[in-house]
Amino acid sequence: MNKKTLRKLEPYVWIAPSVILMAVFILVPILSVFQLSMSDVSKAGRIKGFNGIANFTKVLKSSAFGLVLKNTIVWTIAVVVISTVLGFILALILNNNFRGRKIARAIVVFPWATTLVIQASVWNFIINKDYGTLNTLLLKLGLISAPVNWTPTPEAYFAWEIACGIFVTIPFVCFCVLSGLQSIDTTYYEAATVDGANYWQKLFKITLPLVKSSLTVSTVLNIIYVFNSFPIIWTMTKGDPANHTDTLVTYLYKLAFYNGRQGEAAAVSVIGFIILLICASTYMIYTLRKGDDV
Amino acid sequence: MKKALALLLALVMTLALAACGGNNDTPAPANNTPAKDDAPADPAPSGDKIDINVIAAQYGQNTTQWWADFQNEFNAAYDNINLTVEVVSWNDIYTVVNTRISGQQAPDILNIDVFADYQADGLLLPAKDYVSDETYAKMYPAFLDQSVVDGTVWAVPDLASARAMYYNVDLLNAAGVEVPTTWDELKTACEKLKAYDSSIYPWGIDMTTDEGQAAFAYYIWNNGGDFTDASGSWTLNSAENVEAIEYAIGLVKDGLTNTDPANETRYTLQDLFGAGKLAMMIGPNSIPTYIKEGGSSINYAFAAIPSNGGNASVSAGVMDRFMCFDNNHSAEKIEAIKTFFDFFYDDARYSDWVLMEGFLPATSAGGEIVAASDPSMAPWVEIVGSCKFYPTAKAEWADVKQGVINVEQQALLGGSVQELLDSLQSEIAG
Repeated sequence: MNKKTLRKLEPYVWIAPSVILMAVFILVPILSVFQLSMSDVSKAGRIKGFNGIANFTKVLKSSAFGLVLKNTIVWTIAVVVISTVLGFILALILNNNFRGRKIARAIVVFPWATTLVIQASVWNFIINKDYGTLNTLLLKLGLISAPVNWTPTPEAYFAWEIACGIFVTIPFVCFCVLSGLQSIDTTYYEAATVDGANYWQKLFKITLPLVKSSLTVSTVLNIIYVFNSFPIIWTMTKGDPANHTDTLVTYLYKLAFYNGRQGEAAAVSVIGFIILLICASTYMIYTLRKGDDV
Repeated sequence: MKKALALLLALVMTLALAACGGNNDTPAPANNTPAKDDAPADPAPSGDKIDINVIAAQYGQNTTQWWADFQNEFNAAYDNINLTVEVVSWNDIYTVVNTRISGQQAPDILNIDVFADYQADGLLLPAKDYVSDETYAKMYPAFLDQSVVDGTVWAVPDLASARAMYYNVDLLNAAGVEVPTTWDELKTACEKLKAYDSSIYPWGIDMTTDEGQAAFAYYIWNNGGDFTDASGSWTLNSAENVEAIEYAIGLVKDGLTNTDPANETRYTLQDLFGAGKLAMMIGPNSIPTYIKEGGSSINYAFAAIPSNGGNASVSAGVMDRFMCFDNNHSAEKIEAIKTFFDFFYDDARYSDWVLMEGFLPATSAGGEIVAASDPSMAPWVEIVGSCKFYPTAKAEWADVKQGVINVEQQALLGGSVQELLDSLQSEIAG
């Protein structure tokens, strides 16, 4: 009996250090953000007392919030979906045997290995109207006669930011999928070939189901990372003009450190947290359930 | 059961990730500012020495070294005081200070631009309490007036900068344009420059989150408007202000300015100006240093900012401050802090501080030394004595600043200046 309880307790003892670490470094900050979001916080950062949902109502009432939320959703969906599709295709290509495959794989890592601030600055430099390399290149090639303004509207600027986001996210998807692809036994494909299956049938009936778990991981992580991504937008536009390129994260940063409204910023943070939690857990439950049924 | 547990665990981990996913990306507070390397790693109380800790803003490349030297000199001169200066970049300083305050670890002395938020929370001491009478008397009264709330001065100025209109002499001559002094002349000059060479930008405007409030100030002040009236009530939607911003937006809409004022910061404009692609812009007295370090060799000069309706030209001043936090200091500590300020505002040391990054002095003695040592600074010392400042002493300033930037950017997107300023006014003034 005694031994049995001990054995039952043993695993918990082993995981205790990581649970404690998580509690201190993850749970405490989360709770303090929740506390901040329901507090009256002075501009100098002093908590002046509990104020219920006042911060939330102020945020939800502000004219910018709807726009920012819409931007965040567009940003997350566009970057995650497009980079997943492109990353998947790239992984399929890199999984083939060809000369220089190792070099090609190394090159794919580069955008991932570079700091996002540098990446975003470089993209800004490329598309700049006055001294950008894209205009210089096109002028030299004689394709245009005068510099083109690549960012005439806020929407155009946002599209460039999304393009930059996709570019830096592709390597992550690519490597997740690639690891899945390499674990697939080649005999499946041989058997399918013998049965007369064509390329697309093999892709959809063998490859996709077998890399699904890798894709799930990369998608869930991507949703979280992209939703919370700060440096690309901050470096390229700071959310200007008039919140038209803001996402929740850049918006709350400005609220906290430019407007000095830390309570409201915490409220935005909590709203983002809840949205992410719902999206990520729905997606995980959905895909894991399906996986169990098979 | 097990499956449910596994699912729950997975969820908890997602939750954790969702909460901290962004942390890798957001700029970390400047725990690794260069100053920390110079400062003693452990500023623990050392015997009976009095500890003074200072957080100072990093103005440029030389600031960190200047403060490190200052700290060494000061500690060598006063055996009983242990001074620690931490230099923090402008990007992080508000975050760092607010974090310290919420952690009950406010610095003793802070060098930053704003003070009203700290004063509103009752965190500061009146300036007279921690600056000796002798040092206090050195400061320009007009500067001290900028730090008054409820009739008390809460902070002392450490330096200032002022703005003027810079113009490319060669471009203006080539286009046959006189230096504009009124808004009508400015518009005509811009049109002539555009007609002379359509690839250059006649006029530079910065309406970005970085410094859009400066553009707002230039235009309203030079049209006889202001942020507040004489009694200190907000007057953001006054007729003069609306007219001024409509004029500025009009210049953009007519294609007489840089392409994207909502995203092109003053630094972009300075680069364009240095490259000879921008003919005129309003900028600070540090532009000559910037252009020289950028390696440009354009022929340029500066003049007063053009004004409208017979109003005198107004230069915009920016002033930074020292303030002292009320950390229940003992009488000895207050004396030590007074010693710090006497040491800092010593005429020779102070003018060295000001010249170090090309700023303007906030004390009359400093002004004389600076003007004498560098003839190119002399006209600026005169300008800074007469320029206007942002109403930073008012508690609503942070919201007004972001508000007017938002108004400018909305107007650039086609909004009505009158309606936008009306709604900002009602939001701020209630």
